[in-house]
Amino acid sequence: MASVADMFDVTWEEMRDKLRKWRDENNRNSEQIVDVGEELINDYASKLGDDIWIIYEQVMIAALDLSRDNLAMVGTNTIQEHFPDPSFCSYGMQCLHELRKQFPGSHRVKRLTGMRFESLERYDDANKMYDGILQEDPTNTAARKRKIAILKALGKTTEAIRELNEYLEQFVGDQEAWHELAELYINEHDYAKAAFCLEELMMTNPHNHLYCQHYAEVKYTQGGLENLEISRKYFSQALKLNNRNMRALFGLYMSASHTASNPKANAKIKKDNMRYATWAALQINKAYQLAGRGKKESKNSLKVVEDMLEALQITQS
Amino acid sequence: MPEVEISPRAYVKMQLHAAKFPWRAVNGLLLAQRSGPDPSQPCLLLTDAMPLFHTSLALTPMLEVALNQVDLWSAANNQVIAGYYQANDQLTDRSPNLVATKIGDRVAEHMRGAVLIMLDNGKLSGEYSGPAVVVYERQDNRWTPKDKNLVMWRDWAGTRQALREMMAARAYRLLVDFDDHLDDIRRDWANGAVNQRLGELTLTPDVDTDS
Repeated sequence: MASVADMFDVTWEEMRDKLRKWRDENNRNSEQIVDVGEELINDYASKLGDDIWIIYEQVMIAALDLSRDNLAMVGTNTIQEHFPDPSFCSYGMQCLHELRKQFPGSHRVKRLTGMRFESLERYDDANKMYDGILQEDPTNTAARKRKIAILKALGKTTEAIRELNEYLEQFVGDQEAWHELAELYINEHDYAKAAFCLEELMMTNPHNHLYCQHYAEVKYTQGGLENLEISRKYFSQALKLNNRNMRALFGLYMSASHTASNPKANAKIKKDNMRYATWAALQINKAYQLAGRGKKESKNSLKVVEDMLEALQITQS
Repeated sequence: MPEVEISPRAYVKMQLHAAKFPWRAVNGLLLAQRSGPDPSQPCLLLTDAMPLFHTSLALTPMLEVALNQVDLWSAANNQVIAGYYQANDQLTDRSPNLVATKIGDRVAEHMRGAVLIMLDNGKLSGEYSGPAVVVYERQDNRWTPKDKNLVMWRDWAGTRQALREMMAARAYRLLVDFDDHLDDIRRDWANGAVNQRLGELTLTPDVDTDS
């Protein structure tokens, strides 16, 4: 099979930079990470310098995600005893082994050992690992989050929510945690609490269009005239922050349309929302026209959107 | 009791959707050929799957947009929304939750005999040779598992082979769901590219050309 470097005509530096980009963006494209990372470590280890350790960690987590245990497996003394033939141990088994050698006693590496147990569904062993870390360092947030992830994996959503709430009382600035909690509440259909979490996020990140849009979606789902109006305001806000957010644009159209056709809405609200809806429809059409230029399949999309907007307008008159 | 027949295209696209986002719950709609009520042909043939979301399945605004668009697209293509599918994010959980039954109910309002299909996550790996789905139908206002003998396959061997080849070629990366489309509206949620590739792989003629 051709190497990644050959197939895509990239240098090892470009591969290394790609891995860094994926780390920074926290992407879960595990297949690609393993393809690129495995080759980088195999063929260019000497060139990577100290970068190699963070790449080992990144590749190992990706390998666990793909259930490629041979890639991630612990190369302990035991294994070397049983499989003295080096061809049995793919370089991958070295991953965790190398990290343990380089950083003995490290909590960060212990967390990786715990994650490997999780991927093998050995949750008790994983929890022991994390409890051990927390005994030595009660402020270790990574270990606490893994314990919550285990509760999630076991379907113990109520407990996961409770633990996450406790965690947030201590670490109130942890955005990732607030977002995770919002998702858990949404899955439990507790929209009011999900909205609260998103409000926290919007307060600390007023320029993040995604939080505004997500909040608007939750309010829309809650329903009722008041929530619809709030959702319309936040879809608008999201658009102000990023005028290419299609969900916000569609959301503005939907919320404004529904508000305008709500029997409880007074004349002014009806008129204003008709205006917002008309504006949004125009923008949606423009966006699809732009996107569809020269593409046959997109013309279908454009027609569908035009029809949809027409159909929804008819119900308002 | 009416039979349900699942085409290769519908089955493979559901599986590819789940394969693209193995760590998330995913859902989508199922389409059937639009035809008049014909008592001699009580079978519901599911011709296609439209992948919808892999984020926050329990939120409604984008779902409404998607339902509208798929409805209009189906009508223009001589098809009708006839079912809903979902894969839960938990490996061992294949039961329809509130999201599934609510959306299923909505589809059933407009289509008698609509089905709800839950993917059986534990059977998605290639090791299992049978279909990795549980089909539900509405009986007395509740979704109940359909008699397995009434679930047919247009060409199971062909379906399985096509799926194997698509998975080996990592074709799930090509699949576009409605979430992907909202991220970039140039992406085609009707998946013309995947359909074409699939058409080349499956041995039996495409349902559209069947007389």
